[in-house]
Amino acid sequence: MSKAENFAVLGQNVDRFEGHDKVTGSAAYVADVFLPGMLTGRILRSPLPHARIRNIDTSRAEKLRGVKAVVTAEDTIKKGWGVFFPDQYPLSVGKARYVGEEVAAVAAVDRDTAEEALELIDVDWEELPAVFDAAEAMQPDAPLIHEEKENNIALTIDVVRGDIDAAFKDSDLVIEESFESVPQWHSAIETIGSVADYSANGKYTVYMNTQTLFMARMRLATALGVREADVRVLQTAVGGGFGGKSCDDNNAMVAAILARKARRPVKIINTREEEFLAGSRPRVNMKVWVRMGFKKDGRIRAKHMRIIADNGAYSGKAPAITGVAALRHDTCYKYSDVRSEAYLVYTNKIPTGAFRGFGNPSAEFSVEQMMDIAADELGMDPFEMARLNAAEEGYVSPHGNRVISCELRQCIDRTERMIGWKEKRAARKPNRGLGMGCTVHVSGKRHFGDYDGSSATIKMNEDGKAFILSGEGETGQGHWTAMCQIAAEELGVPFSDVAISEADTDLTTFCLGNYASRLTYVAGNAVKNAATAVKEILHDTAAEMLECDPSDLVSRDGFIFVKGAEQRSISVADVVRGRQFRRGGAPVVASGSFDADSVSQDALRFGNESGAYNFGCQAAEVEVDPDTGHVKVIQYAVASDCGTVIYPIGAEGQVEGSIAQGLGYALIEGMRMEEGRPVNPNFSDYRLASMRDMPDLVHEFADSYEPTGPFGAKGLGELGMDPVAAIISNAIYDAVGVRIRTLPITAEKVLRALQEKKKNGS
Amino acid sequence: MKREMVLTVNGEEHDVEIEPNRLLLEALRDDVGLTGTKEGCSIGVCGACSVIVDGRLVSACLTLAAACEGKKIETIEGLAEDGELHPLQRAFVQYGGFQCGICTPGQIMAAKALLDHNPNPTTDEVKEWMSANLCRCTGYYKILESVMAVVEGKVDEGRRDEAVRQARIQSLYQSDTYKSDTSD
Repeated sequence: MSKAENFAVLGQNVDRFEGHDKVTGSAAYVADVFLPGMLTGRILRSPLPHARIRNIDTSRAEKLRGVKAVVTAEDTIKKGWGVFFPDQYPLSVGKARYVGEEVAAVAAVDRDTAEEALELIDVDWEELPAVFDAAEAMQPDAPLIHEEKENNIALTIDVVRGDIDAAFKDSDLVIEESFESVPQWHSAIETIGSVADYSANGKYTVYMNTQTLFMARMRLATALGVREADVRVLQTAVGGGFGGKSCDDNNAMVAAILARKARRPVKIINTREEEFLAGSRPRVNMKVWVRMGFKKDGRIRAKHMRIIADNGAYSGKAPAITGVAALRHDTCYKYSDVRSEAYLVYTNKIPTGAFRGFGNPSAEFSVEQMMDIAADELGMDPFEMARLNAAEEGYVSPHGNRVISCELRQCIDRTERMIGWKEKRAARKPNRGLGMGCTVHVSGKRHFGDYDGSSATIKMNEDGKAFILSGEGETGQGHWTAMCQIAAEELGVPFSDVAISEADTDLTTFCLGNYASRLTYVAGNAVKNAATAVKEILHDTAAEMLECDPSDLVSRDGFIFVKGAEQRSISVADVVRGRQFRRGGAPVVASGSFDADSVSQDALRFGNESGAYNFGCQAAEVEVDPDTGHVKVIQYAVASDCGTVIYPIGAEGQVEGSIAQGLGYALIEGMRMEEGRPVNPNFSDYRLASMRDMPDLVHEFADSYEPTGPFGAKGLGELGMDPVAAIISNAIYDAVGVRIRTLPITAEKVLRALQEKKKNGS
Repeated sequence: MKREMVLTVNGEEHDVEIEPNRLLLEALRDDVGLTGTKEGCSIGVCGACSVIVDGRLVSACLTLAAACEGKKIETIEGLAEDGELHPLQRAFVQYGGFQCGICTPGQIMAAKALLDHNPNPTTDEVKEWMSANLCRCTGYYKILESVMAVVEGKVDEGRRDEAVRQARIQSLYQSDTYKSDTSD
């Protein structure tokens, strides 16, 4: 429950830190970076899903006037990179494994010249048999995509907790179902891009629209064969990330390789088609089989899940995503007997990867429908069943996730009220239905190295304004604003007296970046700790100046007061100047660190993966047209437990954007693929929801406080996305009695199911 | 063959020397040096490159620069006057009408084009008009709130007043609904 704290800055709808830049067109995105002598880079991509490269002849391209560099794998160190498996190269080595893979690249004086040069590159291909379905790729006769990966299996998970056989025997109801999700493209309105420069002293400077700056640097250094300090990555404004700009693609590497060869800056901005072919790594699509056992009273007794996840041609973050799909949702409800199996399988398609939810949406699409099916079979109200099973404070999941704060039951109650569940169920309308579901997510995750932390530095300007140096960056959610609010609150200065740096690997300490809903919680704690350290310096100096004990001082509104004698005060600016401008003067600057109390999962994937867990409940009311199968979402209700809300407009925006993406995932987003090739990789065929598509949305935040969070806050960004598709499916079932188990839930699928139902007379 | 011409952008004349097939988007960004207009889809679907030419909203990614010679081109850079934000810009800041900001110049130009022609659109008219501008971050709720704040003359008013803001949000989303696609 919330701690009654009187915040001066937190919880206020301040003007967004970078707001004026964004509404005036002056925010500089990567496409807006122009360096003297800059060239345009373009990439030659594999036209085939699986093919050996016999030879590449670039001589004709090199001779074209205006071409300054042509590169192939021969210009690279041919060293694989990748966060879990180093299976990816900046430019194809020996063979290409999906349509769109980077094979060669050109830097030229303008785009037309670069594109003309691409047509002059001759690649002698030897086409190889390819495989596009993950289940088929596991078969013994399937073509091998990476020769060393037997049966194309990148990763196998099989964990058993408790006594699963006994638990199923002890169940009163056992149900078994299969579900299938599809890849979803991030479709950020800004595509991935970079501008790379290479200086005579051997240093690369790369401007990128990345979410994860230091990880980008790590991968660039690996692929380029240089030290990390030889690469400087600067984050430009980022035009939407959602996981797609977390650097599992080759754009920046190719730009850097071209820049080194051309000795001039090179800009590569993905076209929209390239973004679909080989840019942002779409959501890992999964086939999920689930078996669950329940007691008569509605308690979950046992769960067995088997996942086949489509890795695409290279691994990126899919191994971690598969792990999340297999295990995370067991933190939502209380039970102890679980078996989770998962296979991550290579196919000849674009590598899949991180997208808001990170495996959880596929799991929740399955399990939250299982809950609905069970409630139906047991004759229980789904809200009652959710309340009965809901995780609570102190719960430890079968996989070791330790829940500290948890307001899931409060979220369930709020959602039930917001959607008008009881009233609407009592007065049912034809073809209208209600569905609900619950969700859990993390606030940061211990994935990469044994570290789930952040750091920040705050330096005080001599005018009293605080400046935060942070390498976490801003991807659009409003973290810069939230970080400034946290620092202002702790320092006791107005929001307008705090600013934050752009992320720059040369100037800030190591930061993991923007993923796993980690910034408010993990980076927020680091900023708060830096502010505490700065405040201590300020109070020490103020105590000298006011001739009192530092422990008697308190900061508020940019002034430092003596407690109980508040006429004795001094401005923060005077304290900073007083400390700087004197013999032996020194700046007011301090760093703060935070590492979450999580642990790296052991070999059996046991271990508390995050410092804090966020929870939510959602419900939808839909109307189905029985003649066409059209699904209209009438109303959507969301309650989220994200602890203290730091920046309300930003937090609301995360909920609203999550639901929009979730509804797209549920109902419309899907790419038609033929032989591993997206058929229409553009925005007129890959449809995104528009303003008129959005339903009435009601949402609330739970009254909640996370003791380990900065001022009680925890993560939020992904939580809302996770259960949407299951909830829509549940509501459709409630409306017309058909259940759709594959995404997206198109009108055609609903209509077909209705016809089938009619035919069977059921 | 390159040709010299004058493009009048935000009331200022710019001499440019461009190919006849140069897109207005490229001319604005690369030749005139105004990068506030953004490229999103390159096929006139997403609205990120929306600018106003002689009072009409156009996609700069589908418009030839040469066709705009002698016409009045308005871009996001021309909205603020003497550093004073346009009411639409203030509303987007106050109501959180953007997150990443890449579609924002297009959203604001689209809203301006609407309000220039019809200063009092209904909520449904705004939704219909603004549906030509995609946004992947916001779910559109706060974009609608921002535009309606201008329509209702409530910019600066709902600011930091949660009760006023919440009451307005409640009134905006009562009619339209999400429709699923018919195609498989």
